[in-house]
Amino acid sequence: MKRLVIALAVLALAGCGGEAIVPEGQGAHGHGASSAAPPVPAASARFNDADVVFAQMMVDHLQLGVSLSQVALAKATKKEAKDLAGAIDATQREELSMLKSWLKLWGKPEDGGKDLHAAHGGQPLLDDKVISDTKDKSGAEFDLAFLNLMAGHQGAAVEMALAEKKDGSNPEAIAYAERVTTIRQGQISQMLKVISDQ
Amino acid sequence: MKLTRKAALVLAAVPAIVFITPTGTAGAHGYVSSPASRAAQCAAGVVDCGPTGPRYEPQSAEGPKGQTTCSGGTRQDFEVLNDDNKGWKVTNVGSTMTVTWTFTARHATRDYEYFIGGTRVGFVAGNNQQPNNPTSHTINLGGFTGRQKLRAVWNIGDTVNAFYSCIDINIGGGTPPPTTTTATPPPTTTTTTTQPPVGGSWAPNTPYATGATVTYGGASYRCRQAHTSLTGWEPPNAAALWERI
Repeated sequence: MKRLVIALAVLALAGCGGEAIVPEGQGAHGHGASSAAPPVPAASARFNDADVVFAQMMVDHLQLGVSLSQVALAKATKKEAKDLAGAIDATQREELSMLKSWLKLWGKPEDGGKDLHAAHGGQPLLDDKVISDTKDKSGAEFDLAFLNLMAGHQGAAVEMALAEKKDGSNPEAIAYAERVTTIRQGQISQMLKVISDQ
Repeated sequence: MKLTRKAALVLAAVPAIVFITPTGTAGAHGYVSSPASRAAQCAAGVVDCGPTGPRYEPQSAEGPKGQTTCSGGTRQDFEVLNDDNKGWKVTNVGSTMTVTWTFTARHATRDYEYFIGGTRVGFVAGNNQQPNNPTSHTINLGGFTGRQKLRAVWNIGDTVNAFYSCIDINIGGGTPPPTTTTATPPPTTTTTTTQPPVGGSWAPNTPYATGATVTYGGASYRCRQAHTSLTGWEPPNAAALWERI
């Protein structure tokens, strides 16, 4: 019973009561490490469940964002879209190596399991099929699809970061969540301006 | 005794749920990104909508189905979306218009509804399927003319809630909207997202080409990856974008 109550409280904290659990799509994994290997900020050892959930969900989220950026680097026609894809690809690889090192330090797996998203806000916008489907588009149609998907995807990162800022305990993870909030909001602002100019 | 303990745990948890839900972050949301809805204008920094709410979560104007507001009525920091005198940018449209949604997560969809005042001018069935990306609908504006507020509603199939998105439009052959309702960007538009350079030439919201050099905090950096700069991507904080020289 206690466990159920805690689970309910966690669900409420994540604001995802009433979500239907649907089969999860395949995550995009297996991209090589960044050629640039900048120093990675170490996380301190004090952490709670919210920190772990945030890091695990962000690992999956960052990988999906890198995968979509890779498609956009090859297909985007607008300079703003292609540049943003390149910058997201580079910066999120950097963030990925940082988060993976934190999870290793904490003794937690990188993969939070297939029910993680369903239990924390619904199925992610992106999966391998959604990303693959964009390859059938070209020109302005591709740009619009990419910008819409990436704006939505990064909006979900803001939601995760806001939850971490509220519920997390690890100082480095909370500081990272603060940066995610700022940087993704800036990216979304850039993308919405391009979308509404079309 | 055991039962009392369980009850106490439940009671302890309930206030937390009640307290947290109105301000908590929730997932699986969406908003109209084109033409720029009010929430999209908040997120783009076109209109200053305050430090929280739609600035960071344009996708979260959520509330029970059947609301007649732009905010969904759930969160206080989204009430700004109901303010008709906020200086929203107005989009000129013809007798039909195409509306494009941006989603942050997938959700089974009951349907989409579009209203001008109390009149439903558009309906698209969702068949409880997850939406396509992007989802665009062409709406016949039903003979309405002039300055109007189109209220777009995404009715979710597996919860009681809907997402609301208001778009300010001027219907009819590109006639400029009346001057009294013409939106002019507030002078604070760029200052809300721009911070003064910290002792250097680097600035946010600026396009930099690969190889460009800047100074920041007394050091020099070379751009490794073409991008438009952002607050948060200052050279010392973005080694993937800037190499110290």
